[in-house]
Amino acid sequence: MSTATRRVSGAGVSRPLHLRLIEREAPMGYILLLPTLLVLGTFLAWPFLFGLWLSVTSAELSDPGHFIGFGNYNFEFKIDHPFWTSFWNTFLYTGVTTVFKFTLGLSMALLLNQIFPLQRFVRAALLLPWIIPTVLSTLAWKWMFDPTFSVVNWVAVHLHLVAAPGPNWFGGTSTAMAALMIVNTWRGMPFYGIAFLAGLQTIPLDLYEAARVDGANRWQQFLHITLPLLRPVLLVVLLLSTILTFADFQVPFVLTNGAPYNSTHVLATWAYQWGVPGGAIGLGASVSLVLFPVLSIIIAGVLVLLRRPE
Amino acid sequence: MRLPLAEFGDSLFGEEKMADLEDKPYDPEREAWTRRRFLKAAGLVAAGAAAVPILEACGGGGGGGGGALTTGKAPVPRQGASIRLLQWVHFVPAADTEFIRQCTEFGTKYGVTVAVERITADQLIAKTAADVESNSGPDIIQMQYGWPHLYDAACVDVSNEVGILKSKLGAVASVNDAFCKVNGVYKAIPYTIVPNAFTYRTDLLSQAGVTSWPKTWTEFAAAAAKMKAANLQPFAQTDGHAYGDSLTMWNPVLWSHGATEVKADGKTVTINSKETRAAIAWAQNAVKGGFVVHPEWLDPDNNQAYHANRISATLNGASIYIREKVEFHHYDSVSDNGVVPAGPKGLYTMNLIFNHAVMKWSPEKETAKALIMYLMDKTNYLKYTDIAGGYNAGPFAAFDNDPVWTKDPKMKAFHDVVATGKWPGWPATPSKQTAQSQQQYIVADMFAKAIANGDTESAVKEAESRLQAIFSRPG
Repeated sequence: MSTATRRVSGAGVSRPLHLRLIEREAPMGYILLLPTLLVLGTFLAWPFLFGLWLSVTSAELSDPGHFIGFGNYNFEFKIDHPFWTSFWNTFLYTGVTTVFKFTLGLSMALLLNQIFPLQRFVRAALLLPWIIPTVLSTLAWKWMFDPTFSVVNWVAVHLHLVAAPGPNWFGGTSTAMAALMIVNTWRGMPFYGIAFLAGLQTIPLDLYEAARVDGANRWQQFLHITLPLLRPVLLVVLLLSTILTFADFQVPFVLTNGAPYNSTHVLATWAYQWGVPGGAIGLGASVSLVLFPVLSIIIAGVLVLLRRPE
Repeated sequence: MRLPLAEFGDSLFGEEKMADLEDKPYDPEREAWTRRRFLKAAGLVAAGAAAVPILEACGGGGGGGGGALTTGKAPVPRQGASIRLLQWVHFVPAADTEFIRQCTEFGTKYGVTVAVERITADQLIAKTAADVESNSGPDIIQMQYGWPHLYDAACVDVSNEVGILKSKLGAVASVNDAFCKVNGVYKAIPYTIVPNAFTYRTDLLSQAGVTSWPKTWTEFAAAAAKMKAANLQPFAQTDGHAYGDSLTMWNPVLWSHGATEVKADGKTVTINSKETRAAIAWAQNAVKGGFVVHPEWLDPDNNQAYHANRISATLNGASIYIREKVEFHHYDSVSDNGVVPAGPKGLYTMNLIFNHAVMKWSPEKETAKALIMYLMDKTNYLKYTDIAGGYNAGPFAAFDNDPVWTKDPKMKAFHDVVATGKWPGWPATPSKQTAQSQQQYIVADMFAKAIANGDTESAVKEAESRLQAIFSRPG
């Protein structure tokens, strides 16, 4: 607040409250934050709290139910057998695909960071899997893995990579899970690639020149310049991708919907199975909320890593 | 005044009235009360009211403990109203065209705007659930299987309309009745049955020495083995998560060996039995012999495989045969249809069942009911089944002799599987629990697992534990 204003106030001339609020930084800051808080509250906090409430009730579709404490959680952990399959599948699915997406995404970014003909076109084309609506691309994959008309098997058989008719992708438990992972990796990799590429382009070239003068080879440059300077981007992308993969619904739902015999259910599809076709929305909410503490730990871990000095 | 529904509906119009109304297009004005009908009905109501306590005392009472609202008065559409109806995309496209034509015809006749929204059957449940939870959406929703039991609070009591239809069209098919009636109150109007039978290639079966369609599961397995021995296209079916074909295959296999998921009390899980093991043993042997199961197949996959000459027989609705006959013409002359085989404990079948519910949020409930009544009018309905070519069977006794069944003798199998039809969870009455068991494919998963890894005990115990979980859930 300026000296002049203070003098006027001190002289006993009262200014309207809204003017005083606007002129002070702190209240003005909160006022400007209000729309964002409102949006976050409506679209994030409220659904989350509502989900939390549903998970401790016997709510069913068209029936609000009543409070049952930890009854739903107790049911999941002790009685609901496919819940545990879905739980472990979620970790396996996220773990394996994250490793592949990370490795392939980083390789993709390093390649795209080089100068080559049609560089911009290639960069744009590699983003396609991420741009196409997930359901559409997953349906295309479903056809490609189709047991009767599989183009994947056709190619593999004609290249003599596998014996005819090729693997029954969705017919076996391990092949079905492998198919899910392939599709998720294919779809998620461009996000890693483009984010890493953006990070790579912020690294000053002088550092590489200095390293070369000092006799560092490519691997040493990557290990001691690229990776440390890319660390914040790597961690943020890893965090976002892990959250998205843990909660992935579209790929497993469209591709297998849990088949064969519930071996490919993840927590998101199992929650849907109870909540939507089963009508037990309270139970469905509790299945999906199981991820909350797990993801909280992962987020806390990544945030600690981000804050740690290099 | 509350009355047992069936008695009221059937007796209100009686035989005389039935004859009077049969074969005439539905007209709400015609259904309005006349003085003569009022006096007749009032007498019946009085008699019914007097009879209820007596029936209850004797353990009867027809519809059972519900609060069914029955007035006998047909719903009258409101001019200027708008109605949205949500249903699946029919496997025989011409049937949808006719359905929409009839809706438009109703709209033109009564000054109502009717919009028919169609989505694939496997997505219908998600859309319905979202509508129910948000308490808004289409005025009428097509309910598959036991959904009226899942969403009963969101569905309007249509006992009165079902009563009127029963008086005109006769008894409701038992499976539609079980699905529509929730605690004695009709929450949906019986709409259709999609009979499921085997469609097979007569030329291929002849080459393998199979001269007639198998009548028992043992004969079926032997025929499948002959196909394999002759190196011909196999008999094939899904044992995966297909909302139709998987359920209509594995439930009848289970029942026809004398096994059930749960007792008639709807509480006691009975899957862990020697009968279940016998059914699984049959499936395992049939697969070893040559019957091919596909855990990855969804409902359209066996259709595609048949049309692509990859398989010689599969269980399905009549769409494979009808599309061959009407559209593809590749194997129509060498295709025929056969009834689901019988097991040691009898012949059981399962068919897809669709009914129409009027939703409680609809601002135009009476018009919505009137539209359904119009569609269920005998003349209109027979036009629909004729165009559907036998893919649909009517859910009332009056449709038993639908000419569509005699038009093409090869369609007889689809007619014959209707009467033996049961519902998932049978012999228990449909409930939320039986619907959940169905939605989780517990029976199909049990067969699929036992066939895939040969471990019958583990598959049966897992099915038992999952069923017990459903029937013991907190709530």
